[in-house]
Amino acid sequence: MNSKPSLTNRVLVHGVLLFALAVFMFPVLWMFLTSFKDSNTEFNRFPPILFPAEWKVSNYTDALTDKGGLRAFGDSLVIATSTAVICTFFGAMTAYSLARFRTGGQDFAFWILSTRMFPPVASALPLFLIFRELRLLDTYSVLIVANTVFNLPFATWLLKGFIEDLPAELEESARVDGCSYFRAFLQITLPLITPGLVVTALFSFIFTWNEFMFALLLTRNKVQPITTVLPTLVGGHETLWGQIAALGMIAIIPGTLLALFLQRYIVRGLTLGAVKG
Amino acid sequence: MTVSTSAASTPFVSWAQRVFTPRRVVALAFVLPALVILLLITIYPLLYTLRLTVVQWELSNARAPIEFVGLNNFGRVLGDARFWNAMRNTGILIGVGVSLELVIGVGLALLLNQVVRFRSVLVALFLIPVLIAPVVSGYMFRLILHADVGPLNYLIYLITQGSSRGFGWLSDTHYALMSIMVTTIWQWTPFLMLIALAGLQSIPQEIIESALVDGAADWRIFWSIKLPLIFPVLSVGLLIRIMDTFKTFDLVYLLTSGGPGSATETVAYYTYLKGFRDFSMGYTAAMAFVQLVIIVIIARLILAMQKRQRREDYA
Repeated sequence: MNSKPSLTNRVLVHGVLLFALAVFMFPVLWMFLTSFKDSNTEFNRFPPILFPAEWKVSNYTDALTDKGGLRAFGDSLVIATSTAVICTFFGAMTAYSLARFRTGGQDFAFWILSTRMFPPVASALPLFLIFRELRLLDTYSVLIVANTVFNLPFATWLLKGFIEDLPAELEESARVDGCSYFRAFLQITLPLITPGLVVTALFSFIFTWNEFMFALLLTRNKVQPITTVLPTLVGGHETLWGQIAALGMIAIIPGTLLALFLQRYIVRGLTLGAVKG
Repeated sequence: MTVSTSAASTPFVSWAQRVFTPRRVVALAFVLPALVILLLITIYPLLYTLRLTVVQWELSNARAPIEFVGLNNFGRVLGDARFWNAMRNTGILIGVGVSLELVIGVGLALLLNQVVRFRSVLVALFLIPVLIAPVVSGYMFRLILHADVGPLNYLIYLITQGSSRGFGWLSDTHYALMSIMVTTIWQWTPFLMLIALAGLQSIPQEIIESALVDGAADWRIFWSIKLPLIFPVLSVGLLIRIMDTFKTFDLVYLLTSGGPGSATETVAYYTYLKGFRDFSMGYTAAMAFVQLVIIVIIARLILAMQKRQRREDYA
């Protein structure tokens, strides 16, 4: 604003914002503190205490080893990385075709986007029955396929925006020099949209990492992503909240890093490329 | 023999060459992988679901035959009080929850728009909830809303000076749905905030200034200038939120498992119960199909908004 806001106004604005921020940060902070508390003596008490008497890392080591957290972390990593790579590569190819050749026109592009909006619970049932026939339930492939379907339309649309921002002349001059379409795509276009590729891959990674319904319905015990291991820690005769909090903290590392470092692209990513931000 | 083949194939080749120009072949080849994946995994399941909607198939009972029942499943869904209860709960989450996300989100965006220094740091911190797995945010709120040792009930204890030990947020029918709503508001308000902020920052400064010169009050500038100008981008975000809220599943599973009773069952959660606990395939398919119709309506609105948005970009 050009009109100089008064000092009281500025104090008020910052005060409200900081209060709101504290409210929004509190759940994360509380989980962080809980992850270092002893589940029986320091969590299960009234009144609750803010800080643990002693910052123990045993919740982390127990959750990672005894509760299978490390394996779950590995499973999530394999599934999310594979999905991200597949979505980014095929998404880039599709986006290239849509942006440069206008393949299928606007309707085809929007059809691709509309598949992203399919309710997962509606597709979970047929996917479950199909993969049951194929004996592929409880494998990496079933989750990679399911997540790819949901992220490929998103990846295509996001990358389409990045390719459209790039002048076509560069590829055309390479074509004049005798470069094939595919080589021009690989050697000219892809390197020039590297930021777009990274952003797309990271978003596909996060969406897959956070995904729960498919992970729950399409796996049993051989493959267990981190989102399905967490619910298994509740129940029985005692719930070890310290360990749950520890595993929860580990599970939010990728998302938190993305929020902190990719802010510029988040509007674009979360609105499927609709709002450039 | 040789003559006839070449004679027959020559016009074919020239026809094929005309239709499949190298350019078109490349264009098609590039979309082929995505096309195959999306067709196989969306269209095929769609047809599969459609076929299931007309049968009665209880997967839990291997001996029960798969019977053709016509449109019976749809009739049962529409007469199922528990389905309508789930629709009501989902409707409340959308109507009340998303509205609050919008109001708080726009409010925060207006404040952030006035901050000059450290704005991007503030925004980044606000955004953390958005990228956290709903499963984990569910746990964060289970810790906070814990009936016996949660900090929220402790706060109530302090405020009431010990006369109340708080509430069973997740086990009491009166509060359980509200608790789920609070969790979604916490998680998604920053998303709408960010979109509103992006919209506010794209408003040309001159418009605001000339309004100020004309002596317009702050609230007047907001209602008559800022809000109409950010409405197009905001509505895309809003529709995305409505669509995603309609699919609410993770948080219900984590926080209440639909309980107490069926007080917090959403449509997606009830569908899951019918399909993956009761294994009533035909009934679940019919229910999934009803949801699909609703989603398609919302999705068409989003796409129409996006198309308009893009036309304005080009203009």
